[in-house]
Amino acid sequence: MAEASLAAMAHPAQTDMKTKTTAPPRMHQPLASRRYTLEIRQHMAWRWQALILAAALGVGFAISAAILVAAGVPADELANEFVVQTFLDGQNLRAVLFQAAPMILVGLAGAIAFRARFWNLGLEGQMVWGAIGATAVSMWQIGPENLRLPLMFAAAVGCGLLWVLGPAWLKLKLGVNEIISTLMLNYMAANFLLHLVYGAWKDPKDNFPYSPQFRAFERLPELGAGVGSAILLAGIVALLAWWLVGVSRVGLYLRFVDANPRVAHANGVPVRRTIYGAVLLSGAMAGLAGFAVAAGQEGRLTQAFYQGYGFSGILIAFLARNNPLAATVVALLVAALFVTGRSLQVFYQVPFSMVQLIQAIVVVCVASSDFFIRHRLRRVGADIGTNTAETAA
Amino acid sequence: MSGSVILNWLANTPDFAVPYALAALGLIICERAGVLSLGAEGLMLVGALVGIGAQIALGQPVVSLVLAMLAASLVSVLFAVMVIWLRVNQVIAGLALVFFCQGLTALVGSMADWTNHATEGIGTMALWPLSLLPGVGRLFEQNAMVWLTLPIFGAVAWFFARTSTGLRLRAVGENPQAADAAGIRITAWRFAAVLAGSALVGLAGAYISVVSTKLWIAGMTGGRGWIAVGLVIFARWSPWKALIGALLFGCIEALIPQLAAAGVQLPQYFVMMTPYAVTLGVMVWVALGKRSGDDEPGALGQPYVREERR
Repeated sequence: MAEASLAAMAHPAQTDMKTKTTAPPRMHQPLASRRYTLEIRQHMAWRWQALILAAALGVGFAISAAILVAAGVPADELANEFVVQTFLDGQNLRAVLFQAAPMILVGLAGAIAFRARFWNLGLEGQMVWGAIGATAVSMWQIGPENLRLPLMFAAAVGCGLLWVLGPAWLKLKLGVNEIISTLMLNYMAANFLLHLVYGAWKDPKDNFPYSPQFRAFERLPELGAGVGSAILLAGIVALLAWWLVGVSRVGLYLRFVDANPRVAHANGVPVRRTIYGAVLLSGAMAGLAGFAVAAGQEGRLTQAFYQGYGFSGILIAFLARNNPLAATVVALLVAALFVTGRSLQVFYQVPFSMVQLIQAIVVVCVASSDFFIRHRLRRVGADIGTNTAETAA
Repeated sequence: MSGSVILNWLANTPDFAVPYALAALGLIICERAGVLSLGAEGLMLVGALVGIGAQIALGQPVVSLVLAMLAASLVSVLFAVMVIWLRVNQVIAGLALVFFCQGLTALVGSMADWTNHATEGIGTMALWPLSLLPGVGRLFEQNAMVWLTLPIFGAVAWFFARTSTGLRLRAVGENPQAADAAGIRITAWRFAAVLAGSALVGLAGAYISVVSTKLWIAGMTGGRGWIAVGLVIFARWSPWKALIGALLFGCIEALIPQLAAAGVQLPQYFVMMTPYAVTLGVMVWVALGKRSGDDEPGALGQPYVREERR
């Protein structure tokens, strides 16, 4: 009651009006005359944030499930295919880990670059070059046998890094939009890959468009139980990335640069060097992902191994909010989606492009849900509406 | 190179230039209203798929092209809701749209079995009396869409430069605060611009599948949507410059088969890189020649929030 009288004192006109009408004509009030306003939410409890995120994921999965059912997957098989078969079956779980290694690496590559506000959409191109670098070491038999794998590793890192150096320089020196430049370099790298596997590097044994098989010492060894060491490599890189952005000084610089480059510069943060470092590291990690596919999965250079990784890397970084550890978890889930997608392709003839569609739907839902975390819809001046309705009457 | 090769090359140029021109024009409409539309690659795929689907089902090119435009507009509603109402980062939303469309069109195309299903295109139309000129006359025998592209450009250029509606649209992209204060409804204008621009982008995609190649292959636009995004920056958001840029890219793309036909031995995959390399070169060239008075729409890429002070 005390509250009501306080409000009445604050808005005398309002009470005046209310005393006149016993029942405000709310029922017939047109919706348009009610006024809503959007407010920026400064803070939201993490529980609510998690709830909204879960709701967004739920909506995304529901839409995806509906599309899968429409494409001919029996509805009662969905849970079985996605959860039971993928995570509880030993062989499939190994397949997920196998798939996850390059996925984690591209996810981290995306996250590091986006932290420096650089839209590195060239992950696929850098990955292609990483694989080309590693394969070149194998093809030309550079170095002794026991040093071969480290040399391939170094070549992959170097090639990935060099392929992103151009866009980074063009952006920081000339202000060339990195979205277009990195994408164009993807197409060029893909064509160069075709040039190699259909030309000089074609396997002489059979006439298929891939390079000769790597020798045993040029492939990433198994850890045992059918799990390759590529996943260990990815885990180590993830921990290093976490240390870099979470603990080290560079991580602090990156947060500074992300928040406001000009203020960062004024405070003595080496802005350009930080951006260069992050972007080159991103390219190096993407190159490493190419190495993980070539030396860990295929055992040779193939013509389309990179497809789908570029978008997945961006998606992983986005969903993980550029956090390396979260990116590792998301990458595992995306890898599981890839594995499930392949089995759906075999058992239900669902095209593999379904995997890309599901990823896109999830991104759309999560990106849209951010709105509800950052804004609140508040009804204001409801009585203004009543007022106009009254004067009209 | 003999004269006939050059003539062939020039005669084929418009066919390659039209998709770039229409897509760039659609993007200009969108971006003039302040919405950064990176989704062109995806919307072109939607247009290409729906165009070929309608062509297989109905066989009426005009109907196919119109349906493709409507489909691209419909899909772009998703993008418009995301960036205009929900204020999603326009880069993220654009990328998501591209990947969504890539997945969707590949899925629908293979499930409906439209892949590599050849259709009849549209016939050529001679521009009388220029087509009667000796020698160069065949430059003026192009399909109807090539000729239609020119009035579309004229209409859009006139719309932006000479009509008050066009001025309003530009105001929305240039300074939404001022436009809002002048009583222009930002949200409605941006929605309209996205839908109209996307229709043209969809038409560009449908041109590739229905008129040029006459068949559907998943991912057949091959980065042309991204090149169009670069082209818009090159054209400094001006329709006529975009047309010139599109002709430049058309020239380059038309040259590739001509060289092969003339027996010039070039490494195939390096030749296929040229459109992308030229795009990159053009972007660098634009950046080098950047003038102080920037032609970029002032509020490009920024969501408009009335309640927020800047």
